[in-house]
Amino acid sequence: MAISQPEPRLDRPAAVAVRSRRSGRTGDTTDQLGRLESALRYILYAAVTLFLIVPFLLTVLSSFKTSAEVIAYPPTLLPSVWHPENYVRVFQETGNFPRQTFNSFAVTLGIVVINLFFDALVGYAFARLRFPGRDFLFALMLGTMVIPGFVFFVPRYIILQHMPSLGSSGWINTYAALLVLFFVQPSFIFLMTQFFKSIPRDLEEAALIDGLGWFGIFWKIILPVARPALLTVGILAFAGAWNDFLDWVIFMQTPDMFNIQLGLSSFKQVYQNQWDLIMAGSVVAIIPILVVYVAGSRYFTRGIATTGLK
Amino acid sequence: MATTAAPTAAAAVTTAIGKRGGKPGGLVAASEARAGLLFVLPYLVFFVFLQLGALGFAFWVSLHHYDLLALDNPFVGLNNYLKLPGNHDFLIALRNTTEYAVVVVVIQTIAALFFAILLDAKIKGRNFFRSAWYTPSIASSAVISMIFLWVYHPTGLLNGALGLIGIHTNEAWLHDTRFALPALMGLNIWTTAPTFMLMFLAGLQDIPKEVYEAAQVDGAGFFKTIFQITLPLLRPVIFLVVALGIIGAFQVFDQVYIMTEGGPLKSTLSVAYLIYQDLFKDTGTVGIACAMAVVLGIVIFALTLLSRRIIDTKIEY
Repeated sequence: MAISQPEPRLDRPAAVAVRSRRSGRTGDTTDQLGRLESALRYILYAAVTLFLIVPFLLTVLSSFKTSAEVIAYPPTLLPSVWHPENYVRVFQETGNFPRQTFNSFAVTLGIVVINLFFDALVGYAFARLRFPGRDFLFALMLGTMVIPGFVFFVPRYIILQHMPSLGSSGWINTYAALLVLFFVQPSFIFLMTQFFKSIPRDLEEAALIDGLGWFGIFWKIILPVARPALLTVGILAFAGAWNDFLDWVIFMQTPDMFNIQLGLSSFKQVYQNQWDLIMAGSVVAIIPILVVYVAGSRYFTRGIATTGLK
Repeated sequence: MATTAAPTAAAAVTTAIGKRGGKPGGLVAASEARAGLLFVLPYLVFFVFLQLGALGFAFWVSLHHYDLLALDNPFVGLNNYLKLPGNHDFLIALRNTTEYAVVVVVIQTIAALFFAILLDAKIKGRNFFRSAWYTPSIASSAVISMIFLWVYHPTGLLNGALGLIGIHTNEAWLHDTRFALPALMGLNIWTTAPTFMLMFLAGLQDIPKEVYEAAQVDGAGFFKTIFQITLPLLRPVIFLVVALGIIGAFQVFDQVYIMTEGGPLKSTLSVAYLIYQDLFKDTGTVGIACAMAVVLGIVIFALTLLSRRIIDTKIEY
């Protein structure tokens, strides 16, 4: 208490400071101090903002520069000449990049659709249906969420390798590998379960009377009201699948089966002096997730606060 | 099913579901249990084959001299584990990873809490700040790694920024054994702190405002409020953030793979990267890779429990 008393509330969290200023009207704070305080506070907020987004802004600007200008010293802020054609070149001059972009979209959308259905179905069962072993299985599911993924890679690789052949090596290097590994995701099941527990039972009771089967109830009654939760899961599943890197390193083998992230990372070896392409490629890889984030930021932030995943 | 029941009875039926063997309730309960088992089947399959089965299989492989292409993989007992303490690379990787995880978890947790406290304030443009500050966390590890290859380049963003304040250097941060690992730490803190910021923010918003007002009345200052009110009430969130931080940091892979490949001179070799190398780049070392993964899992689990104890005791009054 004594610590902050001599220089009042410059560094106090504003929630407290705002309240105290309101009471301060009665006398213990001058307006000048209030103005200084809010100026300092905005400088602090601006500094944090710069720290966290400047690398992205400069990446976008750099993506319009020549490779030499990207790493020029001293650095330039704006491109001396704008080169929007970098974005064409990144698709034309890099072999597999168009295909890799397609792979990312195909697998990501596949995972999203499959997860929306199965995570909701399983979540509904956990939340609303009584069956033997339910609570035990649910507890097990929560337990498995803390097992580090690296423990699973070797056995999953061997299992996929021995699946009935789709490619040269079982399901390795096929879309099927990733779709089967992510067709349900415990954290999203958990999220759906929490949501279903919160909706009133009257809906199902009425439907039961109407003679709708359990799947009918799930499909026609429950899913429509679960839109916010489905959006959250859809967005988080999209983000997870689009940004995934590790699984593609492990389970894919040839460049034509890489995703955009792995393809982009291979620019380091293959086009290592072409910073213009690296910058443009980075921007391309971030755009879809940025669009999803901006469009659904409400659901996004809520989901992260619930599951702690990104 | 209970189609013949009156509306009022149906309500009773559903609340009594599964509890009773009675006529309408029993029928509903049976069909409900069937539906429940059927609906949960997808996860059950996933659990049995890709989680529980995979876990058991990982342990089984760790007891063998295993090669992905060999037909015969001899049983070697605990040999793969017993050889780990003498495995020079493993020791280096374990030390690097631990160092990395401790620094990252401590700083990112503090940074995330700091950002969240700022965002919890009633301030104009709060939603803008929240969205903007979260940006580093929406980008993929690959994109961030590529951007930071440029940031840490001898004439890249970091040295450019240092030049602006009069420090002229052409340090190649990622090629210097002193700086490569700290460079990766910095990147990870920068990109992960905003994720945990959101969790802290949700936790802060759950704290009733009356608590702060009471503290205010009692004359508690800023630090006293933080340490005696905010932190104790945030304890569950702090534990979650630290636990998720440990789980993430101990498995650091993507940045190492893309940016340094474990170098220079193994100064950024992580356990996860070593497991990957043993899995794909060498032969006959798959069993060792599995043993390392199991050990890594146990280390993470133990540290998570330890952090829980520390967080629980530290704030007991």
